[in-house]
This record gives sequence, C-alpha cells and structure tokens, in this order.
Amino acid sequence: MNKLLHILGFICFLSCGSDNEDYTLIEEEGIEDTQSENPLLDFSVPSNFPDLTYDVSQNPPTEKGFELGKKLFYDGQLASDGVVSCGFCHIQSFAFTHHTHITSHGVDGLIGRRNAQPLHNMAFMNEFTWDGASTFLDSQPIIPITAEVEMNETVSNVLNKLRDDPNYPALFAEAYGSEGINAERMFKSLSQFMLMMVSANSKYDKWERGESITFSEQEEDGRVLFQEKCASCHAGTLQTDQSYRNNGLPLDPQYNDMGRTEVTGLTDDIRKFKVPSLRNIEITFPYMHDGRLGTLEDVLDFYTDGIVQSETLDPIFTKPSGSIGLEMTAEEKSKIIEFLKTLTDTDFLNDQSFAEF
Amino acid sequence: MKKTFLILLATIAITACKEDETQVQNPGTLNLTFENVIDDTTLNLGDSYINSSSETYTINELKYIISNITLTRKDGTLEIYPQDESYFVVNEADANSKSIQLNGIEAGDYTAITFGFGVDPTKYPIESGTLNFVPTAEETGMLWTWSAGFKFILLEGDYTSQTVTESSPYLIHVGSHGANLDNYRDITVALEAASSNTDFTIAEGVNASQTILFDVSKVFDGANTISIDNKPDIQVDPVNAPLIATNISTAFAAQQ
Ligand code: HEC
Ligand code: HEC
Repeated sequence: MNKLLHILGFICFLSCGSDNEDYTLIEEEGIEDTQSENPLLDFSVPSNFPDLTYDVSQNPPTEKGFELGKKLFYDGQLASDGVVSCGFCHIQSFAFTHHTHITSHGVDGLIGRRNAQPLHNMAFMNEFTWDGASTFLDSQPIIPITAEVEMNETVSNVLNKLRDDPNYPALFAEAYGSEGINAERMFKSLSQFMLMMVSANSKYDKWERGESITFSEQEEDGRVLFQEKCASCHAGTLQTDQSYRNNGLPLDPQYNDMGRTEVTGLTDDIRKFKVPSLRNIEITFPYMHDGRLGTLEDVLDFYTDGIVQSETLDPIFTKPSGSIGLEMTAEEKSKIIEFLKTLTDTDFLNDQSFAEF
Repeated sequence: MKKTFLILLATIAITACKEDETQVQNPGTLNLTFENVIDDTTLNLGDSYINSSSETYTINELKYIISNITLTRKDGTLEIYPQDESYFVVNEADANSKSIQLNGIEAGDYTAITFGFGVDPTKYPIESGTLNFVPTAEETGMLWTWSAGFKFILLEGDYTSQTVTESSPYLIHVGSHGANLDNYRDITVALEAASSNTDFTIAEGVNASQTILFDVSKVFDGANTISIDNKPDIQVDPVNAPLIATNISTAFAAQQ
C-alpha cells in the first residue's frame, strides 16, 4: 500500500507539469503495482452506439472503484432504515427496475408517485429521471438518498455511517489511492458502477452491427412499423431522442404529476415526460412514468385508443381527420411487439459482475 | 524492465495538483467578510424594511452560495483559488459563515475579486468539485434535494402590501435547474486599497482583508423591480428567478 501511495504521488507530480490533466502518459519503471492492484476497467462504446454524454476521463472506472460502487449500490446503509438500497428498487433481472411495484416503494413502505426507471446505458443519457430533474449522473443519487419516500437519509449521515463502518475506509483507500471517505468519492463510485451498465448485446444490436443475425419476418415488419409510427420520439439506437413529450396519458388525479414543468416551470412542459429508451422493454413492466400499463399490448392499445387530448399533446398524434391516436391494426401491433422483444439483452440481465451476490 | 502505462487516475492527479498549487511562494492570506445591508445600513433579521413597491417586509432568513473565487492581479493576470475549496454558504444568522479566509494567495498587488453567485450548473460536478460541497449545502438547507441541485439564495420573511394587509410569509429560492434555467452569475468587485494612491496588497504573513457588502434591498429593487405581492413564492420560476439573479449581480460592492 505504501508503495502504491508513493507511486500515485509521483504520478500526481508528473501530471502537474503536464498540460493535459485528463490523460497522462507515464513511462517509468516499477509502477506495475497501480495496474495490478487497481486496473482500469475496459469501458468502450459499442460500435452501433451514439456518443457518450458522460465524460469518462473525469471518472474512469477502475476495478476497485466499480466494486465499491456495487457494494454501495446494494447497501441498505444508504437509507435511513438500513434496508432500502438502490438495488431494492433497481433489480438486475428486470433491467434494474422495480418489477413488482407500480410506483416505487421506499423506507417504511412509503410509496412514491413514479415507476422506478431501468438502469442501463446511463453513460449515454443527457439528463436523468422521468422529468429530467437531474442533469448529471454523478449527482443523481442525491435524489433517492434524500427523498422521504425513497431512502429518507441525508448525504452527510450516509458518509458518517460509511466512515464508521469496519470495511468502507479500506475500500475507499484502495479505490482512490489514499485514505478518506467523502461525497465525491462515494458518488464517483456509484457512477462507475452505473457507467459499466451498458446493454448492447440484444438481437437488435447484433443486427445493427451486422453480426450475422437475421430478424424473423414478424420482427422485420415490426421494425419497419416502429420506424414509421414510433421512431419520431423513440429515435435511434437507444430508442429515445431524449426530449420531453406528452404522449397523451390521461392525468391520474391520485398523483397529479405534471412532469417536466416541475423542473423548468414552463407551461409548455406541462405533462411532458422524458421519452424513455425501450431497451429491455419486454421485462421492465409495468410501463409509463407511473407504471399504469401492465403489458406491451396495453401500451400499443393505449397508442391507438387511449390517448387523451390536452394542450401539450404531441402533434404527431393528431390525425388529418382531427381525431387522435396512432393507426395500427392488431396484426401490426403484434409485429411491433415482436420487434420490441429483440431489444432484450439477456447477457446484460445475467451479467454476474452487476449481481448483488 | 520499462513499461508504458496510460494512467487515467485523473482525480488523484488533479487533487494533488490543487494541493501543490496552494504551495505558492510567499503565500499570503485574504480575509473576506460579507456584510449584508439594506441600502447603507446593516441588515437586522426581523426588522422591517420598505421596497419601492411600497411593501413592508422583514427578512427572517438569508443565505446564499459564493463560489469560484478568482483574484485579478495588478498586471491583469489571474489568481484562481482552488475551485473545490471555493464553495461557501454565507448565512446571515451565522457570524462565522460571513468571514471567509482565503489562504495560500500569492503575494502581490491585486485590483479585483471575482466570485460566483451560486454554483455554475454547466460544469461537470467532478470537474468543478461540487460533490464535496453537497454535505455543506445539505446541512445549511441549500440543497435542492428533489433535483440534486443547489439553491443559490434563500430569502424568507414576512410582508404586507396595500392589498395584503395581514403580515404574510414570502419565500425566494433562486437556483439553477439543469441547463434550462441558469441563474448562476459571475460577480466582480474592485478591491479597495486603504487609500486611493496605494495598491491592494497581499503580502506574506500579513492578513489582508476586504469587506464585501451585499445590498439585499436590490433583490427587489435593482435593474428589475420585484414586487413580493406579485409572487410571494418564487422557486422554480423561469420568469422571476432570472430577474432576481440579474438584480443580485449588481448588489455586491466592496466596502470603501
Ligand atoms: C424507493 C425506490 C428507489 C430507490 C431506493 C432508488 N431508486 Fe433510483 N429511481 C427510482 C425511481 C422511482 C426513479 C424515477 C424517478 C423520477 O422520475 O422521479 C429512479 C430513477 C433513477 C435514475 C435515473 C434513470 C434514468 O434513466 O434517468 C438513476 C440513475 C437511479 N434511479 C439510480 C439510483 C441509485 C444510484 C440509487 C441508490 C443511491 C437509487 N436509484 C435508489 C426508484 C428508486
Ligand atoms: C410523441 C412521441 C412518442 C411517440 C410517437 C411514441 N412514444 Fe412511446 N413514449 C413516449 C413518452 C414521452 C413516453 C413516456 C410517457 C410517460 O411515462 O409519461 C413513452 C413511453 C413508452 C413506453 C413505456 C416505456 C417504459 O419504460 O415504461 C413504451 C413501451 C412505448 N412508449 C412504446 C412506444 C411505441 C411502440 C410507439 C409506436 C407505436 C410509441 N411508443 C410512440 C413518447 C412517444
């Protein structure tokens, strides 16, 4: 350990002289230890993916940083009741969403108003949560940690618990090369864990990358229909243009959730929510920001028959005749669903490196 | 055995650099004191004041965030205070919070100080060092927990107006909301030397000091007139919050 610290000191010394703070090329004898004790993880952007939004050079995932992030993610100490960890609401086998609950359940069984979002491909998102309240992945965990209906804790108190814990001080030191538990290190570790959650091995990805996969006729028809009917919003490889839209869900008086306008204060944003990525959509039910729709059939029926008019309804749903909704036959719907199922990435869902145990 | 490694441990390197940078030659200290005033008089929490909209108001709580401190040398070059040590909450009710000691400043003659009102929302949190400010902001009630953002100013009190004759609460929380509503402002004030023909000098072993006045009345009466009655609860407000931020950007001055 001592040796490692010395080496890190040397790296720091060198990097100060350099103009480039992000990457420093070091040529020196005897620094294998940094590599072997805490190697960098291989974080690479899949060839069919869009550009990263996260600046990985600021927080390059390392083996120890990732492991620490994973431990934090599954640790109930981040909540006031010692039970409700991030992983309690974000369950891997459901693409890190909370399957059994429509809206989220937090400490003391308190029920939130929104459906836990899946966590995957976070490194490619501009903003976070259904209304984009959080601009940075690194600070997003402040929201669940402090929300009364989620973990009901304070960041300061979480840090105190980690400092008093028999294991964390050593784990932080190993991950960051020096003693000390602070908020930045905690958030960086959680980010490292979430950054590595790249889901890019679905049938659809393989098809996009031309990895000798063929779609069935149903799937291919579904893909074309999806492009036509859905891709104006669910655009690109991740099926989201990352904009905020009103897709015509009736307002649920129980929650009266006004969506994006709560963040921007703009009346134009009333009842708009972030266009979600549809990755792993087959298993992330229930659907929509409040989990009101149970199946993909329900979702497609909603798009043809359930859309309600309101001032901010996306214009794409208004037909030339003036009536609203998308035109789809039952057969077309089932083809679209077949296509959506090609977005399921079982490698990701079963990847042991993200698993709690 | 020679090996080449691409070392990406940027944080460690950057943190260490910041520590190194503070080890300047002949480091001096600058004590900044923030004094909240209404026009020319020292603010007293609970006292009544009148704004140009003929509203009588008290201030029961006043806090704001100061960040990103940079000093301008006489030759025009900049002394940038380590950014991650550059976040402060000034709380009217806490005398300690009103004096900020800046250590390790290179000795020399300075003309101006620039600081941020709030937290620059466009900067990446790791880069700007805001993550370690989260506990302080949380403890002082300046963290907007629901959006993982910061309240730049928290101003609360009671008021009466021609229409609201019974004392009623008002509340102003201005912050940033992502990239959409950026209320962060950089503020520059001249440093005032003891007499007009000398320079403002920071020297080794001597604590230079400067009092910065924040005229709270300008929140209501600056370039923009803010009537409390018009909107007694200003929080996520794309119209009024930027007007207030603009008013605040000219509300700071160095005490002569
Ligand atoms: C009580 C259940 C619950 C817990 C515990 C919880 N979350 Fe969440 N998470 C949610 C819900 C609900 C949302 C959607 C919030 C919204 O839109 O307001 C969400 C959204 C997110 C998002 C945004 C995803 C996106 O696509 O924008 C991230 C990232 C996230 N959570 C990470 C975490 C981390 C890290 C923790 C632990 C510190 C955590 N969550 C704990 C329920 C939870
Ligand atoms: C006008 C833009 C728009 C169009 C067109 C659109 N969607 Fe959506 N979609 C959204 C938005 C916005 C949401 C989130 C709404 C909410 O929860 O309030 C959403 C949610 C969904 C969800 C739920 C996702 C989840 O994680 O809960 C599915 C599934 C979905 N859309 C599928 C489709 C399909 C299939 C089509 C084409 C038939 C389509 N959408 C067309 C904007 C659109």
